[in-house]
Amino acid sequence: MVQGVPVFLGFTFLLFLLINLAPGSPVSHLRGVPDLDARTLEQQREHLGLDRPFLVQYGDWLASVLRGDLGTSFDSSRRPVAELILDRMPATILLSVSSIVLGWGIGIPVGILSARYQHSVFDYVITFLAFVGVSIPSFFFGLVLLYLFALQLDWLPAGGFFLAGEAFSVRGLFGYLLLPAVTLGLATIAGVARYMRSSLLEVIHQDFLRTARSKGLTERVVIYKHALRNALIPILTLMGFLIPTIFSGAVVVENIFAWPGLGSLAIQATHERNYPVMMGINLMFGVLIFLGSIIADISYALADPRIRYE
Amino acid sequence: MKKIVISWLVLSLFLFPLALSAAASEPIQGGTFRYGLTVNPRGMFNPILATEQYDTMINDVVYDRLLYIDENLEPQPQLAERWEISEDGLSITFYLKQGVLFHDGVEMTARDVEYTYKTMLHPRYTGVRFGNFRVLDGAEEYRDGERDDVPGIEVIDDYTIRFSTNQPHAPLLVQFIYGILPSHLYRDIPIGELEQAAANRHPIGTGPFEFVEFRTDRHVMLDAFDDYHGGRPNIDQLVYQRVADDAMPIYLRQNRVDFVPIRPEQYPEVARMDDINLYIYEALSYSYIAFNLRQERLADTAVRQAMKAGFDRDTYVEIIMEGFAIKANAPVPQASWAFTGEGINSYEYDPELAAQMLADAGWAPGSDGILEKDGMRLQLDFLVPEGTRTTEQMALLFQQNMGDLGIQIDLTFMEFTAAVDRVDAREFDLFTMAWGLAVDPDPYPIWHSTSPWNDPGFEHARSDELIELGRATMAQSERAEIYREWQQVINQELPYIFLNYAVVIGAMNERVQGYDRDPGPLGPLVGRHLLREIWLPDGQ
Repeated sequence: MVQGVPVFLGFTFLLFLLINLAPGSPVSHLRGVPDLDARTLEQQREHLGLDRPFLVQYGDWLASVLRGDLGTSFDSSRRPVAELILDRMPATILLSVSSIVLGWGIGIPVGILSARYQHSVFDYVITFLAFVGVSIPSFFFGLVLLYLFALQLDWLPAGGFFLAGEAFSVRGLFGYLLLPAVTLGLATIAGVARYMRSSLLEVIHQDFLRTARSKGLTERVVIYKHALRNALIPILTLMGFLIPTIFSGAVVVENIFAWPGLGSLAIQATHERNYPVMMGINLMFGVLIFLGSIIADISYALADPRIRYE
Repeated sequence: MKKIVISWLVLSLFLFPLALSAAASEPIQGGTFRYGLTVNPRGMFNPILATEQYDTMINDVVYDRLLYIDENLEPQPQLAERWEISEDGLSITFYLKQGVLFHDGVEMTARDVEYTYKTMLHPRYTGVRFGNFRVLDGAEEYRDGERDDVPGIEVIDDYTIRFSTNQPHAPLLVQFIYGILPSHLYRDIPIGELEQAAANRHPIGTGPFEFVEFRTDRHVMLDAFDDYHGGRPNIDQLVYQRVADDAMPIYLRQNRVDFVPIRPEQYPEVARMDDINLYIYEALSYSYIAFNLRQERLADTAVRQAMKAGFDRDTYVEIIMEGFAIKANAPVPQASWAFTGEGINSYEYDPELAAQMLADAGWAPGSDGILEKDGMRLQLDFLVPEGTRTTEQMALLFQQNMGDLGIQIDLTFMEFTAAVDRVDAREFDLFTMAWGLAVDPDPYPIWHSTSPWNDPGFEHARSDELIELGRATMAQSERAEIYREWQQVINQELPYIFLNYAVVIGAMNERVQGYDRDPGPLGPLVGRHLLREIWLPDGQ
């Protein structure tokens, strides 16, 4: 926790610096407002606090974050950044968690089967599909799914979330969630399956498993009881790495499906150089990624009795 | 252009029987109309503070204005019953409708109008509309804190208000399109803090639709206002539904939206759907390539004219834009009363003529084949904002065409906001962007030599003179004459290569009735005006 303080300061300072260094200004989008005069433009800059020196701007931002205030958005809505983020957060978390569940729920069993029946037709098919899954860009895959399941088959809605006035139902929720979650989860399914396969194969050939087999245990018990637990440890490490990828992937997928999460806000804020919103979103992602790696650490301890945190 | 005319003709033939049958039946009350948006509003439902066009869409139906703009781009009375412009052109008196109610039941009076317009002039006002009303008598002094009142805004009685200026200013009238705020809800809030007013999130206006709810990135829901001064809308509910950009045809097919503007690539797919009608209309915007006239080589008119004539805009419009564009040669939209084709050179694609013009002007190929003259070289950096396929392809075509003339174009693709920085710093040889145009054709903000948006650095005494004269002349017919000459000057001087006017493709579900089937530049709903008149045959 003590280490967290310099990490937090360094992370936010670098972020603030990078965001400010990018060419273009938060008032650039006012270009073309008819009859806008230089004076009004200057007033806007003052109003947003852009006339102050960089370090003062960072210091003020930091001070207000420590008070629990993420600031006010630079766009004309002037809504509190925290509100903008909190409004969209549940949708992004729902989508990300669903895709993680899909990715791990499907990837792990597929990887196990693939390792157990190594060099079988099943293994080759999975290897091939996993290769496709990792390589296919999500914006393309998302459009293919939309074309098939929404336009051609008309089984699922074209994206978005419940229409205005449409009653909430769990079934409906699945309908809206399915395509974006599969699109976002595809690369995870493929990646996890590949890792699971190689990790299990590595363990299968180790000495302690030969011992287990020679004790007369069935192959089933050997694999699921002894090998799997050991093979899972590197996979859990992978989770820590995959969480940031999933969040950044969500930004793209949310835009394809008009999913009401943080994605479009993040892109909009970046285009408009909406500094407080960019800072807020990145900070949020930082926190989520931090939480993700803690979860990964804890699951380590659960999976491997040799690891204990004091 | 050809393609558009053809498809438009086909559409109107197809629509003819429909239009007849629609006229035969009476409007029915009821139902929900869904308007598709690819970007959801931000949530600033205050017409004098909003700058995002999607917020403005909501504000336009929640707040009525003194006047609205009709399909011919002419002002028509809305909250004002009528107006009078004084003979000297120095004042406009609005006579307000009586008995107009805000959605909370309070009557709207001249005090509300005064509050709305005076606020935009206040020293602590945080919006960007001051410039539109700076010509009002005393506006500048009031903003600078030198006086406490604005003599240019004068409430005569509860239903009469007069705005006056020190000199005649023709573009002023159509500026009165900002929604009238309920002063009883805003008056006690310090103007510097208006941005955070609760009423901005739950707006109360005098418009045909009452605000119900705003769900971030999902929708805005509005109900018909029963006591609307112009008569209750036919539909019960109006929903602005956010849709996924790439999936718009699917939304139409699944009947999840009734109207949505689509992209040219989606046109063939949507045209195949039998229950969707397509409308193509001119947008008030044009694209251009700007020259930096501060450079001596580009200050040569012959170079600019040759570059325009040497650019194959037919291929650009027909192939790259897939026919969904109209070639432009001057900066006034075709729909405007100020548009002229008279004395306007259309610069048809003619590479030989272009080469000849350059040779006549003394440009000759150097050792590497690039044109040179007096130590100047026609090797130009072309700044192109990235992210739009058609713009990027246009730039490549331009590069190729210019290469044929001996002009080397080096392309710099840049993200839009970063490109704006370069333009503002005047660090460009050429750049391409587009302008959205106001209803009034006044060229001052973009073209006057003193204007901040005059990016090319265009200075031309006759142009400035005509621009100033056009502003100060009240009679539209006389202004049209002035702007005709001005367009001829610009067409000759070419500070920009005018590329094309944009068009919009609107897709409307066939069930919808009561809109403009022969749309002008504001589309079948005439901006948002016809949302009040449309109706749904099954009342659902």
